[in-house]
Amino acid sequence: MNLYEGMFLLDNQVVRADWKTAKSLVVDLIKKNGGEVVTIRRWDERRLAYPIRGRRRGTYYLTYFKAAPNAIATTRREFELDERVLRYLMLRAETVPDAELELSKAELAEGFTVPPPPADDEPLVVEEPVVAEETAPEAAPDAPDAIEDVPAEASTEV
Amino acid sequence: MVEYSNKPSRAPAPPIASRNCDDPRIDYKETTYLQKFVTPQAQMLSRKRTGFCTQCQRQLKEAIKRARHMALMPFVS
Repeated sequence: MNLYEGMFLLDNQVVRADWKTAKSLVVDLIKKNGGEVVTIRRWDERRLAYPIRGRRRGTYYLTYFKAAPNAIATTRREFELDERVLRYLMLRAETVPDAELELSKAELAEGFTVPPPPADDEPLVVEEPVVAEETAPEAAPDAPDAIEDVPAEASTEV
Repeated sequence: MVEYSNKPSRAPAPPIASRNCDDPRIDYKETTYLQKFVTPQAQMLSRKRTGFCTQCQRQLKEAIKRARHMALMPFVS
């Protein structure tokens, strides 16, 4: 059994329904393949650097788990097939950081709540072209007034 | 006659990274730190610009690529 660090990017739709089922989604898939979850916590909810499957935002879960080396390939396939998982990353880890133990324990406590994801992750829509022509004529009549003032000032200086 | 160039001499930008290796901040989760080692277009900086040693630069490369895969950092912006 090796120790692994896993990060999973989940669809906000799942997290909005219930953040605990979203968490158990990851735990179940690891356990199904003979893994043993040491810590798991909601790492962050943030805007994605680029849209994935039309999602602009997503929730990251960070986990440390023990698994047999040959179980990783099957675990990967499970996550690959699950449509609720947008991205995953599994790396070998030497130790579990102390901060992770505390934070994941704090998340298990009663009454711990997670702010619901903002409603900014609707599938991408084609932006309508902005009508710029309406603003252009308004600015034009002001321009001649400004020009008239300049020669008057110039004559006083001479 | 000696021809002089009109180009101003350009001093190389000083390296960004500190000298100590084994920096725990070189990690794909530390995106604010990694942002220092990419251009405004999100391209990685060369070793010359970052000032990292071979091993650290390699770790940095891995970290940035992992962060990109997880959509924590852009491929291009």
